[in-house]
Amino acid sequence: MIVKVEGPEEFGNESYVELFNSILLDIGITRHVEAVRFVIRPSDPLFLISVKTRKAAGKIRINEIAEISQSKEGTYINITDENYAPSLMSLLWQLYGRERIEQLSRLEIFCKGIDEKEISEIAIDRGEELRKKVLDALWRVLPEGFKIRYDLSSENVITILATEYEMKEEWKRLAEKAHADMEALDVQSASL
Amino acid sequence: MYKVLLFDGGVYRVNELYELVEDVGGFIIQKTQTHVQILVTLAIPEEEKDVIERKSQELGAKLTEIPLGGTEIAVVAPTLGRHHMPHPVCDIAEHLRRYGAITVVMGLARGKGRKSAQISAEEKALINEYDAAVFVLGNFEDCIKTEKVRLFEDIKVPVVVACGPSIDALPNCKAIVSGVCRRVERMRRAEDIAKLEEVAEKVSKVIEERRRIIDEDPLFVHPAEVRQRIETLPVVQKSLRPAPIVLHLDGLRVKIPYYEWKDQLESIEVYGRKLREIAELSDSRLDGSTLIRIYSASKVESMNQLGSVNSLGDRSAASAKE
Repeated sequence: MIVKVEGPEEFGNESYVELFNSILLDIGITRHVEAVRFVIRPSDPLFLISVKTRKAAGKIRINEIAEISQSKEGTYINITDENYAPSLMSLLWQLYGRERIEQLSRLEIFCKGIDEKEISEIAIDRGEELRKKVLDALWRVLPEGFKIRYDLSSENVITILATEYEMKEEWKRLAEKAHADMEALDVQSASL
Repeated sequence: MYKVLLFDGGVYRVNELYELVEDVGGFIIQKTQTHVQILVTLAIPEEEKDVIERKSQELGAKLTEIPLGGTEIAVVAPTLGRHHMPHPVCDIAEHLRRYGAITVVMGLARGKGRKSAQISAEEKALINEYDAAVFVLGNFEDCIKTEKVRLFEDIKVPVVVACGPSIDALPNCKAIVSGVCRRVERMRRAEDIAKLEEVAEKVSKVIEERRRIIDEDPLFVHPAEVRQRIETLPVVQKSLRPAPIVLHLDGLRVKIPYYEWKDQLESIEVYGRKLREIAELSDSRLDGSTLIRIYSASKVESMNQLGSVNSLGDRSAASAKE
């Protein structure tokens, strides 16, 4: 992972890198983050973080992570890959509502009145999963009192600029430039 | 000056220790018995330590000094959110307990941010009820020096600051420990433990200094003596709150409601005087607690003299009327 920190104080810079590394480790996405750039200016105050992630493998079909069986009242899903259990649950709730989706045990789900065919067409977007995790990491690292935020997001890059009172136009331009630089970054051959 | 010690031994012949402590003019602060083992926290005059040490050896017990025994310390963080170092805050509080202190973790209601970080008068008053306060602050020197110093501006009790960058001095702050910064894990590594030791050491020094200042004009009675008398109240004995009586350097906190129990508390007798004559009792900002601050011996003496002059004046006024 390429890391670049711009800030006036050495200790603060180092400790933020260490903090971000531990958060990534905690969430389990260290390998998915390719590059990160911090711009920290306590006197402004301004905190910018831009993260580039690896391209996540496309969608995964429900058949690859669970066994499906049809019954009279509906469809039973038996999850075989536990990693996808939370996202599958939330997707099912989103599609059919909580009344029709019943969690029988940790890995067993019953879908009332829903046909097996319909269920087997469901697919989970792995990119979206990674995105959620990266956002969680960014939220954890951002200073708590910096509530005024300006965020930019593209396929593989997320940039968040946070401050305390007023968002200046020049800071927005800085964030946009940082975002564009990160998008253009070729991780294999370049450094930030 | 009193030293606070921890006796870790068996119950066999422990009464001999109690008697000896009483003979040398000391007090038992706390006893915790588990089966045949007993932990006794005691306060004795500094010069009598050798005698107690010999007795402990004779009884086959371990005697250790707990520099923060009989104190209550507040560990304050800007907020208790996970951005604001709950791990270092809890680890510091836990480590100070190992040195004998009762610690309380506090998160400020509006402490987040740089310029927007605030502390209310109520929060300051609450912190002032403790013997010392440890403020755990952030990673940037500029932020701490220009903005965060306001948080402990009017705090009357000694303040120790634990923060990331290395800072020589801060206004209204007695000691600084650097290298304690935001993190998402417990302070478990060897260097972290060394930092915790450093915090405890600096807090101990600050408390020692405060003890010496109090000792220059000593209290009328040691808080532990008042504690022994308050302990006999049935409401305290029945209290289910952890540590219903907490010792402070200059008094104590009793965790029973002030307005309900003030008359009973005020009329407790200590060396032939009512408690209200030798201490100031007030409602604590900590819910349902009473704060007792013991007057110094000189203050009690001068109040006595003032009282006798007043009563003489009253008597002469009454005789003049007649």
